[in-house]
Amino acid sequence: MWADTLFIVFISICTALFGEGLTWLLVYRTEKYQKLKAEVERQCKRLEKKKEAHGDSIDRQQKRKIEREEERLKNSNRDLSLVKMKSMFAIGFAFTALLSMFNSIFDGRVVAKLPFIPISWLQGLSHRNLMGDDYTDCSFIFLYILCTMSIRQNIQKLLGFAPSRAANKHSTNLFGPQPQQLSGYK
Amino acid sequence: MSKTKSTSERNGINKEQCLGSVINRALTCNSQWPDKDEFLDVIYWGRQVLGVALGLVWGFIPLKGFIGLFLFCVINAAIVYFYASSFQGIDEEEFGGMWELTKEGFVTSFAGFLVMWIILYSGLHYD
Repeated sequence: MWADTLFIVFISICTALFGEGLTWLLVYRTEKYQKLKAEVERQCKRLEKKKEAHGDSIDRQQKRKIEREEERLKNSNRDLSLVKMKSMFAIGFAFTALLSMFNSIFDGRVVAKLPFIPISWLQGLSHRNLMGDDYTDCSFIFLYILCTMSIRQNIQKLLGFAPSRAANKHSTNLFGPQPQQLSGYK
Repeated sequence: MSKTKSTSERNGINKEQCLGSVINRALTCNSQWPDKDEFLDVIYWGRQVLGVALGLVWGFIPLKGFIGLFLFCVINAAIVYFYASSFQGIDEEEFGGMWELTKEGFVTSFAGFLVMWIILYSGLHYD
């Protein structure tokens, strides 16, 4: 099992580096992205400062100004996401091909033993394409996802490609604005 | 060319000095953190190291079942809480409350912990 697990860790390091390299080639090094990123950071800091300066005692005029700033920030964030989209598609295609290749290599193979039984809605992933009812058997995809979750984020942070905390706080995700953003409207 | 090299060398030295200063402050109690992001970075990387270390320990023992997951969450959160509030004595409200500090880098640390735990557990006890 050592060989399989260490090989999967190696695969996920390689794919994370490949993904970041591809994103750097298509996005990070472009002038447009760098400009937009700097713009978003600047707007975030300005907005934070304004919110901190006025605190709770906020009049209608200031509120309108802050809302305008937030609208501008939202637009910049949207533009940034659009710039990133190109590389996301390229990475999506490359990773789908790579994953299906590795899936066929590790098909039906128990790559590791889990020291716990995963909760029922994770068992479909942790026991994917495996025979038997022993839910402590771990499939390739489960270990690969865990490795990627830990390695990719750390590589992004080490290389300085991770979005800043201020930008993260103000960016919208698929499920709508984050709680911190909503509290800003109170 | 030589100008570019000397600039990058200078930047490298600055970066090293900055990193050294951050590590020094991280290990000294009640340090000053004018840049909030620096302190959050210390929490983040500390958590990653802690996650891997706990994963190694859990794998060696070996610890099994949800008690392992539960203990990881409790120890991880408790160490960060005591480090921030007692050792560094920071004002948690400056960082958006203790919840913000408690969740900083938690998911990544949890994933790193699981990978280490699973690899060691499988390698040492099932090979």
